[in-house]
Amino acid sequence: MTSLIIQSSLETLLMIGASAILSVLIGIPLAILLWLTSPLGLAPHPYLRHMLDGFINAIRSIPYIILVILLMPMTRFVVGSSIGTLAAIIPLSLAGSLLVTRMVKDVFFNIDRGLIEVGLAMGASKRQIITKILLHEAMPSIVAGVTTVLINLVGFSAMAGAVGGGGLGDLAIRYGYQRYDFTLMVIIVVILIILVQAIQMTGDFISHTLRK
Amino acid sequence: MAFTNLAIALSDIQITYRSDHEILNVLKGVSLFVPQGEIFGVIGRSGTGKSTLLRCLNGLETPDSGEILIHNKSLLKATHQERCKILSKVGTVFQEFNLLSRRTVLQNIALPLEFAGASADEITVKSTEIAALVGLSDKHSAYPSQLSGGQSQRVAIARALASNVSLLLCDEFTSSLDPETTIEILSLLQDLNRRLGITIVLVTHDMSVISEICNHVCVLDSGKVVEIGPTETILLNPQHKVTHSLVSHLFAKDLPRVIHETLRNLPLENDHAVLRLTFSSNATFQPTIAAIIQTFGIPINILTGNTGHIREMTFGSLIVTLPINTTLNNGHALLEDILAYFQMRHIAVEVLGFIPPL
Repeated sequence: MTSLIIQSSLETLLMIGASAILSVLIGIPLAILLWLTSPLGLAPHPYLRHMLDGFINAIRSIPYIILVILLMPMTRFVVGSSIGTLAAIIPLSLAGSLLVTRMVKDVFFNIDRGLIEVGLAMGASKRQIITKILLHEAMPSIVAGVTTVLINLVGFSAMAGAVGGGGLGDLAIRYGYQRYDFTLMVIIVVILIILVQAIQMTGDFISHTLRK
Repeated sequence: MAFTNLAIALSDIQITYRSDHEILNVLKGVSLFVPQGEIFGVIGRSGTGKSTLLRCLNGLETPDSGEILIHNKSLLKATHQERCKILSKVGTVFQEFNLLSRRTVLQNIALPLEFAGASADEITVKSTEIAALVGLSDKHSAYPSQLSGGQSQRVAIARALASNVSLLLCDEFTSSLDPETTIEILSLLQDLNRRLGITIVLVTHDMSVISEICNHVCVLDSGKVVEIGPTETILLNPQHKVTHSLVSHLFAKDLPRVIHETLRNLPLENDHAVLRLTFSSNATFQPTIAAIIQTFGIPINILTGNTGHIREMTFGSLIVTLPINTTLNNGHALLEDILAYFQMRHIAVEVLGFIPPL
C-alpha cells in the first residue's frame, strides 16, 4: 500500500511538474502576444488579438474532463497513447497554458503604462522593453499567478484518473471510492493538502522575495 | 536654415485625436525653436496640449502633420535606426518618476545604457558618475520604495541623463514634490544646464517654476502658441489673457477686494485711474514716482505693493491710483503721457481700470 501511495505521488509530481513547465513556456509567450497586439500594446493588431482571445476563451469554457476526452486523438498522436501519466500531461499543459496566459496577461495590463513609455522614449527595442521592463517588473505577480495555476493543476491532475492517468487522484478514486478504503482516501487528501500548501508557501516566498 | 545650433525646431505640428463621439484638435499648428543650451518653459492650463507637445519630442506621440527637428535631424522622416539614435540623445523626466520598482537606484540609472548596449564596466562607471552628479552617491543600492519624492526625482533625472543626452524633457515633474524639494530639484537642473550645457525643456502649469529657471517661455492655449519670448518680457508684460491669469498669482498682484469690487473698465467723471507698475531691480522706482509727481503735478496714491523674482532678478509690483479725469480729452492725454513716462524708464505699466475717489 505504501509503495502504491509513493508511486502515485511521484506520478502526480511528474504530471504537475511537466505540465507546469510547458504551461509557463507556452502561456507566457501567448500573454506577451496578447499584450503586444492590444490597442495600447507595442504592435496593435486587432485581428490577431481577437482571434487569440476568442480561441483562449473557447478552450477555457470547456470543462476539463471533456477537454481531456476531446484531446484524446491529439494526445495519441503526440505521446503515442491516450492513457497513462504521460498522456495526461497533454491536456493538463493545454489547460495550464491558457490559465497562465489569462493571469499573466492581466498582470501585464496592470503594469503602469508610464514604465513602458520610459523604454519607448529611450528608443529601446520591443524586445528590450519586454525583457528589461515588462517581464522584469511583472515577475513577482507572474510567480504569484503561476502558483495559482499550479494549484489548479493539482486539482485537474486528479481527473487524469478518469483516463487512466495515474497519480494520487486516480488512486483515491480506485481504492478510496470504488473499494471504499476510507483510510487511504484520508491519507491521499492529507498528501494533497500538504502538496498544495507547499506550492503556495514556496510561491508566496519567491514572489515576496522578488518584490522590492 | 541659418540656425546651426538649434536643439529643437518644430513647425506647424498638428495632432488630432479621433474618438467615436468627437474630434479633438490637441495641437493646432505649433511652431517653435529652442536654441541649444536653453532652459525653455512651456506653460499653459491643463488640457491645452503642452504634455502632448512634449511627447512629440521623445517620440511617444506622432503628429498628423508638421516637422520635428531635433539637433537638426528630422524625427519623423528618420528610419527606425536613425530614430533610435536621435531618441537616445533625448532624456525624459516623467511626472510620476516611473522608476522600475525591482531595480536599485544604480540599476535604474543604468537602464538607458543597457538599452544602448554598453558593456558592464562602462555601465558601472557611467551610472556611478551620474549618481554622484545628482547627489545620490550614498543611495546606490536603495530601491525606489525606500526613497523620498525628491530622491526619486533625482533618480529619474539621473536616468534621463545617463546616455549622454543633450536634451532633457521634463513633464510637469514638480507637481508631485513639495515646494522646498521643487526648489532643490530646479537648482539641480539649472546646475546641470550650466555644467553640461544640456538643453532643458520643461512643461508646467506653475508660473513660479518658469520664473525660477527658464530663459524663454512659450504660453500654450487650446493647442496654439499664444505668446512666446524671454521669460522677463512675458512675465512683466503679458499680452494674452491666459498669460495674465497665469502670471497674476506669481506676484500676488491681485487687488484688495474692496478695490476690485468697485473697479470698472470705463471711467466715470472724477474717477481715479488704477495702474499696476512692475519694475525690475535695474529700474529705480522711488525717483520715478517722485519725478512724475513733480513733472505732471499729479499726486500718486500707492494702494499695495509686492515683490517677486524671475531667476536671480528681483521684481516689484505696485498698484497705484492717479486722480485724473480721463473722461476729458486732456485728462486722457495726460494719462497717456504718464504711461509713456513709465515705459521710458523701463517700468512695465498696465491700466487695470477706474475707481471712484476713495
